[in-house]
Amino acid sequence: MPKEIELLSSIETKSLTKSFGDLVAVNDVSFSVKKGEIFGFLGPNGAGKSTTMMIFTTLLKPTSGKALIAGFDVMKDPKHVRENIGFVQQETTVDEYLTGRENLLLQSKLNHIPKNEINTRIDEVLELIELSDKQHQAVVTYSGGMRKRLDIAGGLLHHPKVLFLDEPTVGLDIQTRRKIWQYIKKIHTEFEMTIFLTTHYMEEADNLCDRIGIIDGGKIQVIDSPENMKNALGNEIISLVIENSKNHDLFLAELNKIEFIKKINDENLKLILFTSNGTEVIPKIFQISSDLGIKIVTLSLTQPTLDDVFISYTGHEIRDDKSKFNRKIEHAKMKRLRA
Amino acid sequence: MNSIMYDTYTIFWRELKRYKKSRSGVLIRLIQPAIWIIVVGNIFSETQPLIQSVGFEGEYIEFMAPGVIILTAIFTSIFGGVNTLWDRRYGFMNKALTSPISRSAIALGKMSAISLIAALQASLIIGIALAIGVTFPNPLMIIPIMGIVILFSLGFSGISVTLAATAKSQETFWGMINLLGMPLFMLSPALFPLELLPNWLAVIAKLNPVTYTVLLVRELMTGVSEGGVPIWISIAVLFGFVLAMVAVTSYVFTREVNKPF
Repeated sequence: MPKEIELLSSIETKSLTKSFGDLVAVNDVSFSVKKGEIFGFLGPNGAGKSTTMMIFTTLLKPTSGKALIAGFDVMKDPKHVRENIGFVQQETTVDEYLTGRENLLLQSKLNHIPKNEINTRIDEVLELIELSDKQHQAVVTYSGGMRKRLDIAGGLLHHPKVLFLDEPTVGLDIQTRRKIWQYIKKIHTEFEMTIFLTTHYMEEADNLCDRIGIIDGGKIQVIDSPENMKNALGNEIISLVIENSKNHDLFLAELNKIEFIKKINDENLKLILFTSNGTEVIPKIFQISSDLGIKIVTLSLTQPTLDDVFISYTGHEIRDDKSKFNRKIEHAKMKRLRA
Repeated sequence: MNSIMYDTYTIFWRELKRYKKSRSGVLIRLIQPAIWIIVVGNIFSETQPLIQSVGFEGEYIEFMAPGVIILTAIFTSIFGGVNTLWDRRYGFMNKALTSPISRSAIALGKMSAISLIAALQASLIIGIALAIGVTFPNPLMIIPIMGIVILFSLGFSGISVTLAATAKSQETFWGMINLLGMPLFMLSPALFPLELLPNWLAVIAKLNPVTYTVLLVRELMTGVSEGGVPIWISIAVLFGFVLAMVAVTSYVFTREVNKPF
């Protein structure tokens, strides 16, 4: 029973929370995604991106809170949610021993596409992802990028209202990644569907998304368009490395007084200043440093990227200590196993 | 209901497609039952007086051939559910679960595909049996025999799919399969007449659905009624077993796949 009212938001969540025992993977998340928008969840591994997506695609039940997808409640009405979504998982899930076309046929049947429409739908998506000529080959002969394209095509067959892409280009080389982005954009204009994707690539979020939600530690830190986020930091970044000095704090305080500087990140001896009018700020920095007797080792002026946005909101880089820590644990585990 | 049938057929179709593409497996899976019928059938050929004592006139190999047909069905179907674990590991399951398809249909589609595959394997074993000299008094009996094998495998594949849905790892699954497969086969009259079993073993054997299936196939194949169990009881037990397994598997599978893997 589709709703008569034209929906303005394709995804709507309210205080969505998911915990596994003591671990709170998604912590009181509320936001909405407008119809027809490409919305990206950006965050490091373990930030809660995939868990959120699993709740949206009815694979996990939230501990508390609410989520509406295409107007249907994921808890109360999962069947209607499933009829209105396409889900392309992080790992490619196509059957290797089936041909490309057989894979799409299977997907059509899973999604209850009427029999007399199946063939035209398959032809349509095959053309869109430019795999028509390879459709009768077993998928085992496809490259990684082709498999991913086929997987994405499978999520489009039933013309879902919302398409979920979980890390659509993870593990692909940069050229293939760009190609996939083109396809995603093409899909978006052709089918006019809402796309919700997760990624930990800044470039991807910047390239594809109308709006981005930065998620870290299960919480949304900020939601905005990539442009606004970058502009909020000023249009320039000055990074400088200084030598250790007892006047360090005083130096910071003086820098903060410069009117163009919007924000300072202090990573010990590496300072990142988000600013405008960089060329006017730099002489002032030199002035202050020589007054306080602080030696500047390097100084550079750059344009902000989403990376800088991420750091400014979360206080750490996207692949930060956390993952290093995990790697250490993994390493220790492997050692124990081998011993 | 219509949609459950359609969904079941979708999964059935997919499983059979995958089976067709892995043809080497067909032969490998035939080796074990072939060894049973050729080697064990001849090793025990001197037990003929024993089986004659329960009213069976033919050779031992003819007595045990129905047992090996069921052995093939048991092992093909009890291993058949293993790809449920792969499907959960490699995302096909999530793909199916996020589509409008019914959860029970996934289990039922797998079960019906496994049961057909088991019947194919069993028919190959019947071919081997015929080739080494086992005779059928009535060759038309092969039709009801295949029907029984399909039904029995449908029920038995339910055990496999249920275990695979419950097990979180390959190791657990294989452990459980080994725990169940052989004893269920051994505790049946597949190799030895029910009448000659010690009482306590006979009681256990009578609780085993494999027993009734073996008796049924043996009766159809050789014309000898053995074990003192009327044919309608065997048929009733077989149907009861299949219905119970379909219900249990649908229920457990649906419950288990809704939990995170």
